[in-house]
Amino acid sequence: MKWVGIDVGGTFTDVVVYDHQDGLVRSAKRPTTPAEPELGVFEALEALAVDLPRVARFRHGATVATNTALERKGARIGVLTTRGFRDVLMVGRGNRLDLYNIKATRPVGLVERTHILEVSGRLRADGSEMTPLDENGVHDAARRFEAMGVDTVAVCFLHAYANGAHEARAASRLRDTLPGVLVCTSAEVLPEHREYERFATTALNAYVAPRMSGYLTRLADRLEAEGLSVSPEIMSSSGGSWSFARMARLPVNSMLSGPAGGVIGAVETCRALQLTDFITCDMGGTSTDVAMVRGGAYALSMEGTIGEFPNRVPQIEINTVGAGGGSLAYLDTGGFLNVGPRSAGAVPGPACYGRGGTEPTVTDANVVLGRLRPNARLGDRITLDVEAAERAVDALADRLQLDRMTTAAGIVRIANTRMTAAVKEISVMRGIDPRSFALVAFGGAGPLHAAEIAAELAMPQVIVPPLPGAFSAFGLLVAERRLDYSQAALIPLTDDHLADIRARLEAMEDTARKELADEGFGGHAVRIEHSLDIRFHGQAFELATPLTAGMHNAAAIGESFRAIYAERYSHADSGSAECVCLRLSAFGLGDKPAARTDDSSASGPSQTDVMTRTVYFDGGPEDARVLDRASLPPEARVQGPAVIEEPGAVTIVPPRSTARVASTGALILVREGEAGE
Amino acid sequence: MNSIDPITLEVVTEGLISVVREMRATVFRTARSVAIYEARDFSCGLFDARGQVVAQSEDIGSHVVPLPWSVEASLDRIGDDLEPGDVIVMNDPYLGGTHLNDVTLIYPVFHDGELVFFPAVREHWADVGGAVPGSMSGSATEIYQEGIRIPPVKLVSRGEVNHAAMEILLSNMRVRDERMGDFNSGLAACRTAERRVRELIDRYGIETLLSGVRTNLDRSERRMRAQIGKLPDGRYLFEDYLETFGPAPTHRLEPLWLPLELTIAGDTLKADFTGAAEQAPAPVNSTLAVTAASVFIVLKSVLDPRQALNQGSFRPVQVVAPKGTIVNVTHPAPAGSHGEIRKRVIANMLGALAQACPELSSADIQRTSFHNLIGGIDPVTRKEYVHYEWSAGGNGAFAEHDGPSAMAPIDWGDLMTAQSTEVLETRYPLHVRWTGQAADSGGPGRTRGGLATRRALELERGEARYSLLADGAVVPAFGILGGESGAPVGSFIQRGDDVVPFPTPGKIGGHLMTAGDVIILQSAGGGGYGDPLERDPAEVVADVLSGYVTVGEAAKVYGVAISEGRLDRAATESLRRRHAAGRARFAIDVVPSKAVFQAVGRGCKRIARLAPEDALRWQFGDDQLVEMVGAGGPPVRAWTVVDATAASGRLQLDERACATLNVTVHDEVRLRPVYSPPLKVTAPLDTG
Repeated sequence: MKWVGIDVGGTFTDVVVYDHQDGLVRSAKRPTTPAEPELGVFEALEALAVDLPRVARFRHGATVATNTALERKGARIGVLTTRGFRDVLMVGRGNRLDLYNIKATRPVGLVERTHILEVSGRLRADGSEMTPLDENGVHDAARRFEAMGVDTVAVCFLHAYANGAHEARAASRLRDTLPGVLVCTSAEVLPEHREYERFATTALNAYVAPRMSGYLTRLADRLEAEGLSVSPEIMSSSGGSWSFARMARLPVNSMLSGPAGGVIGAVETCRALQLTDFITCDMGGTSTDVAMVRGGAYALSMEGTIGEFPNRVPQIEINTVGAGGGSLAYLDTGGFLNVGPRSAGAVPGPACYGRGGTEPTVTDANVVLGRLRPNARLGDRITLDVEAAERAVDALADRLQLDRMTTAAGIVRIANTRMTAAVKEISVMRGIDPRSFALVAFGGAGPLHAAEIAAELAMPQVIVPPLPGAFSAFGLLVAERRLDYSQAALIPLTDDHLADIRARLEAMEDTARKELADEGFGGHAVRIEHSLDIRFHGQAFELATPLTAGMHNAAAIGESFRAIYAERYSHADSGSAECVCLRLSAFGLGDKPAARTDDSSASGPSQTDVMTRTVYFDGGPEDARVLDRASLPPEARVQGPAVIEEPGAVTIVPPRSTARVASTGALILVREGEAGE
Repeated sequence: MNSIDPITLEVVTEGLISVVREMRATVFRTARSVAIYEARDFSCGLFDARGQVVAQSEDIGSHVVPLPWSVEASLDRIGDDLEPGDVIVMNDPYLGGTHLNDVTLIYPVFHDGELVFFPAVREHWADVGGAVPGSMSGSATEIYQEGIRIPPVKLVSRGEVNHAAMEILLSNMRVRDERMGDFNSGLAACRTAERRVRELIDRYGIETLLSGVRTNLDRSERRMRAQIGKLPDGRYLFEDYLETFGPAPTHRLEPLWLPLELTIAGDTLKADFTGAAEQAPAPVNSTLAVTAASVFIVLKSVLDPRQALNQGSFRPVQVVAPKGTIVNVTHPAPAGSHGEIRKRVIANMLGALAQACPELSSADIQRTSFHNLIGGIDPVTRKEYVHYEWSAGGNGAFAEHDGPSAMAPIDWGDLMTAQSTEVLETRYPLHVRWTGQAADSGGPGRTRGGLATRRALELERGEARYSLLADGAVVPAFGILGGESGAPVGSFIQRGDDVVPFPTPGKIGGHLMTAGDVIILQSAGGGGYGDPLERDPAEVVADVLSGYVTVGEAAKVYGVAISEGRLDRAATESLRRRHAAGRARFAIDVVPSKAVFQAVGRGCKRIARLAPEDALRWQFGDDQLVEMVGAGGPPVRAWTVVDATAASGRLQLDERACATLNVTVHDEVRLRPVYSPPLKVTAPLDTG
């Protein structure tokens, strides 16, 4: 029996397979074909000789929806909205994105104004009907959508979070009249108040749905044809595994599918190390994703965006910064040395890839510094052209009138500064001191930079999990089934209204349990968490307040809210509180692998394995030992300066630091004088 | 001066910006007033010992850019008496401030006994006392009605808060607990900044840090000098107006004249507002800091939009604004109109730059900060409420693109301007009937000005008071290079089918609304760029199909004939020929300025004297707002005077107008009514 996790990224498709027989986890990496992502999936499966009939769990992570949105390759969409509110989607919040630029423009929306139609029918804030829905108007709109040739229609009515009846009736009429056109409603996608954010999220869902559902259908069909007997699942942005069918309907929940896998994987890795407070740093080719985990739990954000547009479904709070291995170093118009967010991308890629790139990237700088070198024995598919990297860095060094090594070190230092800022933003800026947090580094480039980033922020230790190069795929394997539900409802937080809140939560729980039962989870395999979004009366910002067993009255809930408020805003406040939104997360619990990578060769580095090479650090050149990670047995210690290599990633152990192999296989890096763990 | 390598420079710069970001986060986390943590009406900055901005982040230009004047005024008064642990607090517009609501904390940071940096926080305190809740009074005649004035004082001395002074301040403000919270959040942000600055000093050394600061300032200066150097040397004139009204019952328009002489010489630039109207006992005045900052915001946005903002950019720039005028207010005139003066200084700068570098600049932007207030007591909840909204207008068109519609202008940072109907209807007894972009409100041009926002708000129950502090309700945003004006600001009350404009448009104080009344408000449209007859007919058709322009206006201003949603090419060609031929052109007589200006009450306006037969021929009325259009650049606005003594076919211009229009006595000048789109006070469009 095997479990499979497959993460389709923009450039590479990673697969991780857990084999119950030998208890080992193996991985492989293949290029992604963006037009047909399923090709990479099957190539990766083939690389590890996965026999689909023997697969008992198939978990997927895919950025298909994300790339569709970012590259503007989505559907032709129509929007049906409340009369008088056609411009909600056109105007947005009326803010300016480019602050000091007389020629700033508004980003081009996902829908044209001519494709937004209005219909009469108006609800009040409490959901009661002010004007009935004009069903003939809906019918006329359907005819006009047909003439426009739209692929999907988003139905976006005011106050639909409070009462979805108008939207549901309109959607049903549209579906009747427009067979083959996908219709989604705002109440179904995001039943929360603030019309622009809800409408935009719904429009985004409609925009990516045809491509995502087409892809998921093709993939599921072929997996079934090749013998997969279990239902394949896909990771949601909130860190739970969903059925393909649900995600095909609500693909806007898959925007962080891959990065969420990395955070979930880190939670599992650190649980085994008994670490509960850490920050993840997933550095890939074009960007770095940073997330914070406290007390073993990651935070969900309801403030997400994709490109310039809001995407307000719950998603793991991940801070993305445009600096990765492929980020270009260049002199900007002001003559300043800059790194990213421009990237060499997959083509041509860094100069050292030898595919025609000539501008220096962060990867090229690492090659020049000796941190990254071609390594035939690891079977890497990309060979590195050291001279090309040197030429690229030299060109920039000439313009800066600096030498090659100073320039390369400078590029790495500036990239690290960008990532340091990203870590600060999710910790220091929220009043949390990262000095008590570990840094968990993965992604192709994460372990290369992690030690220096941690030192800069005085974080005590760095964890490099097993399989850092395919870590998101590993995270997919261990994720739980998770479904999130929400319902906007303005209810005063008093004992009189508690019964109402409970009744609504129970109704949501019934829906959740039914949906999980349909997917095969029941009884003890289901865990339910409730929370309320609460704010002080009169304020506009609410905070998610978990409901726990002991909270029997409004005072207890209010006290918990006040404590969360005090932590977030650094001061206590008083006044009456009100509930704005009810939330419920339902988990379907399954087994998790006790992951162990193949360490059959881990007898300790033999004499022949130990090489040294010159690697440049802040203080200048050092003779660093170069080790194969697979050769390091548990409890092995590696004194820096050292380079630990493995397929898909390289870990740098700087001078005066030590790396230790934990029993779980994770590498733990600690600076001299720090206690570690 | 030791030099700094480019890598350390980048790292140090990022470090300084990160200090400001952390200050922002601290204010956001610790403030207790809605204005700050919801509307984000605050800014932070890091200044050097001479008060120059060295770092800022996503802050509001109208806050940060004037801050150096506050630092300078503070240094002048108490600079010799500063010690570690002191905190200066000030809001005095007459001493380097903006308006009284913008309370500023300035925090000197010392290193080895030397003053090295000033972190500073400017927050909009929701109330600083005065005649009305919120302190911003549309009817103030003296500053005392706008709140309590705080000159630069050490409210904290060596770390000890002066409780006596604090008590006096708080006792003069509404909701004192909230004000105390505002103060504490600013203090927390400054203390955070001090800690971080010290860490940077420990890490890189004070010399490296200061050298980084100097290098950044010098580079910004060099970049700005290089940009100014590319502009043609010369003297560029423009003029514009603020609107005041005379007493009831006529409420005659008394426009206040604001002229600009912009001189470009080599790599330096001077903006001179000599001649500006005297300050008035009305909310139309602002401070030198606001005037100069507005000049800077335009230069930064037009000439150097890509790089982070610091003070170096403004070293080659000189601003002259005579004391006692609307652009450099002195005691005791009201100073609450920073939002309107800012927009008018920006307009003047855009008018001058339209002559010097129209390809880099844009037509005029939304004319106002458009402060709408509806407040009362909800009879159901019996609670007091105030709904405050500031819908954005249209931005000016520029060479490459139509002006963005309903989007915050360059001086508003990242402020959100469109409020959620769902939130509004949940909180207040108000019902939003409709909201959207107003058709035909964007100034026609080869590229079109941005559209205004138009909304209808209905009072559902009880009574309420409606106030508006705005400008540009009579004189709209101008187009350039032949482009036409955007729609003026508008505000109307609808009872049943009757729609009535207010007698003092743009300046309304406490109008009584009863249940069922509807307020229709429209922000200002942006000006157009280039001749509308040169707009690609396909784009006009697209605008009509999208509902941005109506079929009638497409024919009338763009000369584009559309039938059944399609372009009629032949009809368009003949229409465009006819429009071009039918333009009123006049020969020029050059006369002294006093012949073409007329005093109106406390105001003064330019006039265009027309012979009766010319007025008849071209259908100009008397006292109609018109504009003269020259070969390029901006228009010159005037009011018609039909005068039997005027020579037929000729128009009198003073040298100022000739220079602005770039015409001489041998040229012709076009005269046209200022474009005003047909006013349909209905939903922005109807797709039913």
